[in-house]
Amino acid sequence: MAVSLEYVARETATNLWRNRVMAVAAVLTVAVSLSLVGTALLLRQAVKSQFVQWSNNVSLEVFVDANASTAQLASVRSLIERTPQITKFTYLDHQQSYNWAKKLLAKAPTAIAAITPAITPTVFRLQLQDPSDALALSKTFKVVPGVYAVDYAAQSIRTMQHLEGAVQVILVVIALVLLLSSLVLILNAIRMAIYARRREVGVMKLVGATNWFIRIPFMLEGLIQGLLGAVVAVLVVLLANFGVSYLHSHYNVQLFAQAVLNARELVFTDLIVVLLGAVIGIFGSFVAIRRFLDV
Amino acid sequence: MIRFEDVTKTYKGDVTALRDISLDIDKGEFVFLVGSSGSGKTTFLRLLLREEMPDTGKIWVAGREIGELSPWQVPYLRRNLGCVFQDFRLLPNKTVFENVAFALEVIGRNKSIVKTQVGIVLDLVGLGEKADRLPDELSGGEQQRVAIGRAFVNRPLVLMADEPTGNLDPATSQGIMKLLDRINRTGTTVVMATHDVSMVNLMRRRVVELDHGRIVRDQARGVYGYASELSNTMSRGVPAVPVLDEPESDESFEVESVASRFTAERPRRGDR
Repeated sequence: MAVSLEYVARETATNLWRNRVMAVAAVLTVAVSLSLVGTALLLRQAVKSQFVQWSNNVSLEVFVDANASTAQLASVRSLIERTPQITKFTYLDHQQSYNWAKKLLAKAPTAIAAITPAITPTVFRLQLQDPSDALALSKTFKVVPGVYAVDYAAQSIRTMQHLEGAVQVILVVIALVLLLSSLVLILNAIRMAIYARRREVGVMKLVGATNWFIRIPFMLEGLIQGLLGAVVAVLVVLLANFGVSYLHSHYNVQLFAQAVLNARELVFTDLIVVLLGAVIGIFGSFVAIRRFLDV
Repeated sequence: MIRFEDVTKTYKGDVTALRDISLDIDKGEFVFLVGSSGSGKTTFLRLLLREEMPDTGKIWVAGREIGELSPWQVPYLRRNLGCVFQDFRLLPNKTVFENVAFALEVIGRNKSIVKTQVGIVLDLVGLGEKADRLPDELSGGEQQRVAIGRAFVNRPLVLMADEPTGNLDPATSQGIMKLLDRINRTGTTVVMATHDVSMVNLMRRRVVELDHGRIVRDQARGVYGYASELSNTMSRGVPAVPVLDEPESDESFEVESVASRFTAERPRRGDR
């Protein structure tokens, strides 16, 4: 049977209009929750990219005793070369390392006076593929003969890892709760619509309208509510991103220094938001139809 | 057209609504289902619509056993069964025209068919002039005519009426009966469940009496009453009941409706 498009469009529009208070409530809830979901997704990506960027700057510094023999130095170097977790390294000899120390101690001239290039430990600066390997590697290198000390931002890395994990879990939980609540709201809106139209539905069943013919306007109604909410949410997400980048560029607010996302990530997030809106709308109305529309 | 074979239907709590019913109704018959409240009349109609399934037994409509229809086929069964109720069941926010048109729209008929068929049916039920009124603006009798129009507009094989005159005064009821009679004479089978003594007596059609879920009487040109009393009355030979005046010839409508089925539902190529 050909379901007349005109009929379905007209019925859906009338439904939405007649039930507009409920529809607006559902759309707004979907919009609020999807905005939060979208923001959560963006934040997640921001945290991730910030972490990646930040940890790229982390290096492990292996200080070799100034008095170490050439053989010891060579064995340290070969161990570094054989370790796959290390992506690259640079070696600072006595003079370079002395220059670096001078720079670090610029405000303490007496300390500089106390050191000479000859007694300054030489340094291997290691870049790691995965910053979480830092702890294990530092333990390995500490016991190698000739190594004077290993230094890395151990505490910061660990804190950062924990923080990232916690933020992700919290965001996912919030997102799930919000998604569930907007699903329930759409379900309720469709339930009200079904209730408001029970006479029509009764007559339709009586005169032999097919089940899908009866269902489709309600499904569409849910889908439209979900999509409208998603569109509002997309706008909110875009606005939020714009706001952050504005703060960043005009006031140099460092809180989200790395949180300004590129266009690809934004489009990806918006797509997910729209998709979620559609899924929530269809699923919510489907459940309502199964529960409350006796066809 | 309709065949019940050993049909039993029991509701929860051991209430037996129908007990071992077997009944044949031929095409074009006009049948009254009579009996006191709870005798099973409404259950009979609900089974026919497949709103419910019998516990045992089989039901055929137009040669198909409806128990074997899959759920998606049920709407197509119902398109062959027009329904009229005591409470009219019109949509209050739609006009008379829209109420009748609704029945065609929701089974996917196109606009031109809807327009012509609704016009024809409204003329048949005598409401051509009131097509733009809302149900609230009509009398009870007129509302029932709209409901009958809606049930008939798709030209069902069977028109079922559950107490169609239950809310109407005798004069109005008589008009409704005339209308049903007229529809019957287009070849539509009519099954009417009723309490209305005078209407049954007026029409003198087949009467099937139910009592506690059993058929206790099936009489070709029957009157209302209970089997026990009737045998008494008839033995005395006084079936003193008025008979509806021989109806005026209705050939004109019949010809028109048959013709319109072909012209309206199969528009000529190029017609707009």
